[in-house]
Formats: sequence, structure tokens, C-alpha cells
Amino acid sequence: MEPETGHFGTEMNRGFLQIMVLAMLEKDMYGYAMVRAIGELGYEVDENTLYPLLRRLEKNGWVKSTWDIREDRPRKFYGVTEAGRRLRAELLDIWKKQDQILRQLLKEKSHVQ
Amino acid sequence: MSNKLEAYLEELSHFLSGREEREEILSEIRSHILEKAEQEFGAASDESLDRVIASYGPARRVAEKYLDGRPVIAPAFKRHLFRYTALLFAFHFVLTLAAVVFKESFLMFPVFYIPSMSPFEALFYLPMALLFDLGVVTLVLYLITQSKKEVRLPWPRFSVDLEEVKTAGRTIGRIIGLLAMTALTGVAVYFYVRYQTIFFVNLNFAEHHPIFTPEAGRWYSLILIGLWALSAVSLAVKLVTSSPWVDAFKEGFSLVLLGLIFRQPLDTALGAQLPAGLVRVLKPSLTITVLVICIFVAIDLIKALVRIGRKQLAK
Repeated sequence: MEPETGHFGTEMNRGFLQIMVLAMLEKDMYGYAMVRAIGELGYEVDENTLYPLLRRLEKNGWVKSTWDIREDRPRKFYGVTEAGRRLRAELLDIWKKQDQILRQLLKEKSHVQ
Repeated sequence: MSNKLEAYLEELSHFLSGREEREEILSEIRSHILEKAEQEFGAASDESLDRVIASYGPARRVAEKYLDGRPVIAPAFKRHLFRYTALLFAFHFVLTLAAVVFKESFLMFPVFYIPSMSPFEALFYLPMALLFDLGVVTLVLYLITQSKKEVRLPWPRFSVDLEEVKTAGRTIGRIIGLLAMTALTGVAVYFYVRYQTIFFVNLNFAEHHPIFTPEAGRWYSLILIGLWALSAVSLAVKLVTSSPWVDAFKEGFSLVLLGLIFRQPLDTALGAQLPAGLVRVLKPSLTITVLVICIFVAIDLIKALVRIGRKQLAK
């Protein structure tokens, strides 16, 4: 039987998604293109999760946005800011440390077994 | 453009009302849905848009993801909601009883206005008072939560244990109580069927003297039998479940039954054969007795409701 990640999975994905979005937005992208690009990376994100996240990141000054109205359909493009890059670096440090701790713990456990 | 898309965006707009960036959010979602329909289904037809909207999720859920998620009442204050309401209602209840007994109105600016009322009217007034008290406490806690200030609210403790602890002694006590209440109800039903009342001045049944007139005697007897039967049923149910709802229903129904006593005016309910001295004593004593019982039942009802509230919070 598969473990029911449910709520725990959502909690973990939230943090990961923030780092991933900040990493993706080195190149300006709009929402739908981001959903497609994330899908191509083998990951899945609900659009109704991505857009509120982008709005929060923008509100805090970590990403900036511009509307492109050159085509029939206006699109909102997002790009990472300098503050966003600093945040990404800090989040990556945390993530690396967590990864290191978990690897250490699982290694110790396998030794005990 | 699909009417369904417009309806969906309108619904979203309703749930996002109050947010400055509402129009921008809606424009972005509109653009996304149209592009997805074209890219994944070939064209933005009614059918494809319906499918994309369905996959985007219900409007309320989507809107909630944009909201800050700040609760109406801070989780730390949820326990205060029930306890403060219980205390306020207890105060309200006592004042209501005073208004009934002394036939006076009470005004305590700005929260309380308790008009002079009959016991029967009080039965309808009290549930309204409970809702009012809940509303007042909710409003205060809401304002404290929204102020985002570090407020430490006092936590009054009841002297009684509100938690149900199941022990062997308690179960045996309930079985004995159940047997006693069943026997009492049975005997009362026997007397009622035979004499149409269960209230007597003397114990000589060959020449019995009922306390009340036949009509009042039937009314009061049925109410008392109902109360005893209710106790027996609740004791039986509590042998299999410790749910506080059992107590809440029992005390709630008991309060209604006790209130029905006042539908039969006590002034004309006493039997004509009773000595005048006894009538003088009986009238106020019976009223006070019923009111005191009402207070105890109401306290038990509040305790049961508080336990229900706490269990819901624990979930």
C-alpha cells in the first residue's frame, strides 16, 4: 500500500515550488508557459496554485511583472528581481542543509540495521 | 466568449471582492483559460472551455488561494469563544430569571436589556439571548484578532470537570440510576393510568385527595413522567456512548418540558379541597422549585454545549 502523502506532500511542495519558480524566472515567463515547462521537467503544478504564489512573490518584491499586449491575448510576464535572487540563494542553502541532514540520518539508520 | 467562462469569472470576482488587484487576477485567469483551451483542445470552444474551467477548480477554492488566510478568530481564542459565551449566558440567564420572578425589566447599558416576562416567554427569550451572547463574544474576539496585537485574555476555570471520564464506578452508577428511573417511570405511569394524576396529598388511595385540579393534574403528571422517562432513556444511551450530545438533547428537552409547566396557570391549578394555609405555602414553593430545577438543567445544558464545542475544537 502506498503511503498517503496528502497534506504532508502539499506542505513539502509549497517550499520546493517557491525555489523552483524563483529559479525558472531567470528568463521572463508567463503563467501558462511556466505550467507547461514545469510539466516537461516531470513535475506537476496546479495553475490555481501557481498564480497566487506568483502574486505573493510579486507583492514581496521577489518577482516583477509586465503585461505584454502586443498579441491578441494579453499575457503577464514574470521575472525574478535582485531581492528574489538573494531569497533563492538563502532558500537553496536551507534546502541543501536539510538534504545533508536527512542523508546523514538515513545513512546512520542503514548502518544500525 | 463562452457564457460559462464569464459566469466563472464573475463568481470568482464575487469571492475576490475587496481586493484591489481583482481585475488583474481575473484578466490573468481569463488569459490562461483561453490559451489552455486553444493549446490543448485546438480551439476555445464552449466544450473545451468547460473542460479547462472544470480542471481549474471551483471558484471559491481558487479565490481562497489568493486570500491571506487570516482567520476571523485566532485559533488561540477559539476556546475563549465557548467559555466566554457560557459565562455571559449564565449571567444573562440569572437576570432573565430575576426578570421573571420579580416581574421587572433590567437594563445594563450597552449589552443587556431584559424585559419583564412570563416563564413561558422566557423559554423563547433564552435561546435568543444565547445567540446574542455568542455574537457579542464573537465580535470582541474578531476585533482582537484583526487588531493583530498581542492580547492575553483571562481564562476563567469552571470548578467542575467538563471532561467525561469513563470508569467502572460511573457505569455501575448509571445502571442503578437507569433501573431506578425506569421503576419510577413505571410506577408513575401505573398511577396515572389508574387515577389520571400522580400528585396526592395523602397516601390513602381508597380515599385519595389529588393536589391539583383534574386538568392541571393530568398536565403536570404527563410532564413529570416525560422528564423521568427522558432521564431513563439518556442513562440507557450513555451506557453505550459518552457523546456530550446525549446530555445536550436531554437537558434541552427537559428545559422545554419544564417550561410547559407554566402553560398551566398555578393560580387555578391547586385542588379545591386543599386547606387555605397549604395553598398559600404551595404556590410560591412550587414556582421557586421549578425555577431552581430550571437553573440546574440550564447549567447542565451549558456544560454539555461547552463539552461539544471543546470536542469540535479538538478535532
